[in-house]
Amino acid sequence: MWTSPDRRPGALPRLLIPAAGLEPPGLPGGGSSVGVLLRDLDLAALVGAAELDRELLAVDLDSVEGLDSDLAAVGFVVRRLGIGIVMTRRPALAAGAAELGALGLLHVFAFDSTGLGRSLEGHPRAPGVGTVVSPGPALGHLSPGDLGRLPRPLVAYGLIETPDRARALLAQADSIVVHRDCAAALLAEGAAPLPAP
Amino acid sequence: MQRPPAGLQRFLDRLAVSPCCAAITHDGCLDAALASRVGIIFILRGDGFELGPLVRRIHDAGKLVAVHLDLVDGLRADRAAVAWLRRAGVDALISSHGQLMRAVQREGMVAIHRLLLVRHSLLESGFAAVARSGADIVEVLPGAILPDVRAILPPLDVPLLAGGFIRTEEDARAVLAAGAAGVTTSAEDLWNVDFT
Repeated sequence: MWTSPDRRPGALPRLLIPAAGLEPPGLPGGGSSVGVLLRDLDLAALVGAAELDRELLAVDLDSVEGLDSDLAAVGFVVRRLGIGIVMTRRPALAAGAAELGALGLLHVFAFDSTGLGRSLEGHPRAPGVGTVVSPGPALGHLSPGDLGRLPRPLVAYGLIETPDRARALLAQADSIVVHRDCAAALLAEGAAPLPAP
Repeated sequence: MQRPPAGLQRFLDRLAVSPCCAAITHDGCLDAALASRVGIIFILRGDGFELGPLVRRIHDAGKLVAVHLDLVDGLRADRAAVAWLRRAGVDALISSHGQLMRAVQREGMVAIHRLLLVRHSLLESGFAAVARSGADIVEVLPGAILPDVRAILPPLDVPLLAGGFIRTEEDARAVLAAGAAGVTTSAEDLWNVDFT
């Protein structure tokens, strides 16, 4: 019988590496700076990935086949699987994750100022609910006013392709989603700590 | 090489002269757009049943009109709405619904397929949808990130527009240098800049 791990993170890792299942996603030496974003997988693969005792886990809830978009699904992910960071486009689910003690992240799309404003109208703006912005490089083009309206913690997600761009975004965001090679390059740079937002 | 249809050629000619297009998101900015040097005005908000007089005003000012079918109120993104907007005199339609592009062209309008840039793993399917749609022009959003991501975008054989978060002349020039044929922006300061 599978039992739930207790793996709720206290903090959001600075780098999240996307993974679709059981492949080794982590990076040696990343420590608490690196976590795994589980996405584009089905429910069985999600359970399998969560069983492994490994890095900090986040999940892109909307991309998991077999999970409904409701609070029961959030409860399963947080309580049963022990995943402590839940990303979703649905404000009620982000708030629900926070109420269960996880970090809820409302996923908003920044295609233009008007659309971003509309997306944020539904933000719960509650304790424990932050914001994911896609595509990531859009963060660098927001006005200071728009940037200030994004509830923290703030994650930049999607189309962050180079270490230079990643580094620039880390100065604005609390965390970024980057592919493994980019994360490895950032960590290999070394000794220098990742820039603070 | 086959010459583009007259409507598309006229649209591209305007872009070549004035690559910056005015994006209208509220009535208050229309007068500034009409008085500016832009050659094409993009209507991104409004009542889909009241566009006729607006289109006539824009044409009277010597400019072309593109309407975002998915964003105007009251109209469903389908063929009947496409025909409705043609009767209103619209020159070009923008939509994320690729299956409507042929219908737009059959009505004699320029078909602009809007493509949202989200993440790398979705680019391939997005660009494949654009290729299938047969659109005349592709508009990518958010356009301001085009210089960041141009290298990873699949090749396109139609002109590219870029819109979203283009606020400054520097933004616009960077996007045009990255290969866009034009930019759409609600930043009125840019509507009178000579980008040619």
